[in-house]
Amino acid sequence: MDSLGQFEQIVLTAILALDDNAYGVTIHAKVEELARPKKAARGAVYATLDRMEDKGLISSWLSEPTKERGGRSRRHYRIEKSGAKALRESARTAQRLIETITQNLGGLAWKQPG
Amino acid sequence: MEAARLNAPPDWLERIVLWTIPPAAREAVAGDLWETYRSPRQYAAEVLRTVPFVVASQVWRNLNLPALLLQSALIFIFLGGPIATILLPALLLRSAYQETTRPCPRHVFRETILLSSGVMALLLLIMSVTVRIRIDHATWLGLFLDALFLSPFLCLFRTGLILLGDRAKTVAADELPRDELAQAYSKFLDTNLRHNLLQAMALAFTAVCGFFFAWNTLVIGLFVLASFYLLQNSARRTSAQLDFVSLRARYQRELAGQQQLRRFLRWLWFTPALVALHARLAVNGLEEPIAGFLNCVGVAILCFLVTALNREHGGRIQEQIGQLDRAREKISPA
Repeated sequence: MDSLGQFEQIVLTAILALDDNAYGVTIHAKVEELARPKKAARGAVYATLDRMEDKGLISSWLSEPTKERGGRSRRHYRIEKSGAKALRESARTAQRLIETITQNLGGLAWKQPG
Repeated sequence: MEAARLNAPPDWLERIVLWTIPPAAREAVAGDLWETYRSPRQYAAEVLRTVPFVVASQVWRNLNLPALLLQSALIFIFLGGPIATILLPALLLRSAYQETTRPCPRHVFRETILLSSGVMALLLLIMSVTVRIRIDHATWLGLFLDALFLSPFLCLFRTGLILLGDRAKTVAADELPRDELAQAYSKFLDTNLRHNLLQAMALAFTAVCGFFFAWNTLVIGLFVLASFYLLQNSARRTSAQLDFVSLRARYQRELAGQQQLRRFLRWLWFTPALVALHARLAVNGLEEPIAGFLNCVGVAILCFLVTALNREHGGRIQEQIGQLDRAREKISPA
């Protein structure tokens, strides 16, 4: 199984958090919220979604067209089993990193710069 | 309706944006951009930040490296390195912007008639340039008649493809139970398996024949490699544990994968003929203009046939992927 890149982890987490409401606009908003203070281009989110879909980590489908989108459908996303597994693996790695940093830097690790 | 229209991008801007987004991503991306519309300036800036990524992503998604290399090699041997270098990005972009529907019959016939007219114009050009060459009237008449019959013949071929496409069954209804989808997927895999095994055997047999007929070693090697690849990838995939959404995603991926494979194989099947025509063109192209002209027409027709097959089949597959995208699960009452 391929390990996830940082941006892929963020996008997958956003889909996980949004549950049934995960589509382009909401995923992008959630990604910006999770990646703060960094900005994320919406196009980069689409490219990452496509890549993860090709890897079988997520799946997508089109909803019914709606008037507020000019009569167009939303592409909804959902995490697949392999995606959840990869995300858990990434979370375990992040957990180990947090523990190591806390052990060595103590509370300083959590102070925001500035 | 009027209020909704006030908070929407201007029509002209919308049309430009739709034109720039690759068809496969158009529905979702254009809808998202519309949903977040605030002003024309914000909309245009968002489009500029989004569309290049979407195009790059579609280029990557539709990248069919074996087919691209084969096409580039053919362009290289026919037209030379500089033109191949120019056409390579064009081929990449063409695959990113591939249509998600089958070609419209009116466009199909227009393309066909344009090709035939091109052949006719070329014939007239050669006739006017090479007046000194002694060619009897009967030969010229024969050539003109061939060119005249070219258009109906090619139109008939494309009509056949359209009719075949019309007869193909719809892959998924608007609403269907999970088991029905699993059945359709299983049937698709079985058909593919049989098809791939037959193609692998045919490729191997052709490679052996090619060896005896002293074909280009590279072409024989490609046939052997493709045959091995098909045999190696003919294992059956199981789908018993998957729910509707995951099964649909797997079905779509499989359809897209098979489309890529078929595109490459079609170019491969036509390669020996194209290479042979090139060899004849190199030997007697300049000395015998009629033979050279006929070889050029042969190359154009072969490229037209393989492109038409790929376009029709690719469009059908893309339509099936789109149908699956919109299919809903029908839950049967307990």
